Amino acid sequence: MNMTEQDLYIAGAIGLLTLCSVVTRASFNLFGHRIPMSDSVRRALLYAPAAALTAIIVPALLPWVPGSNAALVDEKLFAAIIAIVLYQRTRSTIIMIVGGMVSFWVIQALFSFW
Amino acid sequence: MLFQIFLKTLNRKFLALSDLNASPPSPIKPEGFDPTLKARRRAALKEGWLGIRPAIIPTATWGLVTGIALVKSGLSEQAAVMMTLMVYAGSAQLTSLPLIATGAPLWLIFAAGFIVNVRFLIFGAALQPYFQSLPWYKRFAYGYFTTDMSFVVFMPRFGNAKVRGTQEQRWFFLSMIVIGWFTWQCSSMLGIFLGVMVPDSWSLDYAAILALLGITIPLANSRPMLVAIIAAGCTAWIAQPLPLRLGLLVAVVVGMSAGIWAEQRLNKERA
Repeated sequence: MNMTEQDLYIAGAIGLLTLCSVVTRASFNLFGHRIPMSDSVRRALLYAPAAALTAIIVPALLPWVPGSNAALVDEKLFAAIIAIVLYQRTRSTIIMIVGGMVSFWVIQALFSFW
Repeated sequence: MLFQIFLKTLNRKFLALSDLNASPPSPIKPEGFDPTLKARRRAALKEGWLGIRPAIIPTATWGLVTGIALVKSGLSEQAAVMMTLMVYAGSAQLTSLPLIATGAPLWLIFAAGFIVNVRFLIFGAALQPYFQSLPWYKRFAYGYFTTDMSFVVFMPRFGNAKVRGTQEQRWFFLSMIVIGWFTWQCSSMLGIFLGVMVPDSWSLDYAAILALLGITIPLANSRPMLVAIIAAGCTAWIAQPLPLRLGLLVAVVVGMSAGIWAEQRLNKERA
């Protein structure tokens, strides 16, 4: 079997993410009291996942490249806004995903019709 | 150093023995046989099943969406299956997809996965007393298979238990994580299978972003958290020209600082 560079890259990503799972989930069970974690650190860590997730989502929804005039706003953003409103109304992430996907298709069709 | 670890291990083994001895003595007790053991185990496993049952449909839905998103965001079928089986962390997997698609450096993928998974460190600190009497490989397994759902069901029930680390508590936990693992893996595999069948023109890669939104939006349940999210979002938008997607790390630092700042301000207002 011949591994291309891309295959190695993805294998590396999977390996490192596995390490993430192992380290974050098992280290307290394995090394228990030897890991210091103060209350303030714990509180600060509460905000980290939400910040990281947001930082992944925003560039995907609102990409921009310096010096280019390509459209900043497209159907991805509109569908995401509808999805968020749907979540506010129903408190259901399933409705949010399905509704967001459907509105994405509808808006895409409208844009191409224009 | 090694000797200390050895001593600690010995100590744990001893703890494990005393833990067994501490279980309620049955009137008839032939050596090494506890007639109530089987019944107690069955009852605890069933309790675990009842506890995790409401989480099965949501878990399966997430697994399905994640499976579809994996193959629709450019991973091959084999890579998606490997990732699901090994990583076993939906939010970290979804987070890595846009990074992999843009060829971000591996260390940044690791950092992003770690930050999204950091909640498990907090869970781990809370769960650790329940497993500390076990040998290391069991502690490792209980840790690795811990999920959000099992933690959320376990803590309200046993968080204030007088004795932490009884066999009943661990059987309950075991039942939940086994059911959770099968639910997640089966639904993810189904999603990967469906994702391969669906044509690319359906743009189902967008479902990956929606799934990430589905994890993030419910987190915004307090004012400091909302401040952290808005600050991180603005920073991530502005920082896009930074190379290697380093804007991600900047946004995390700004988001965390903003969250702590908002929390302190809110506490001052209330005081």
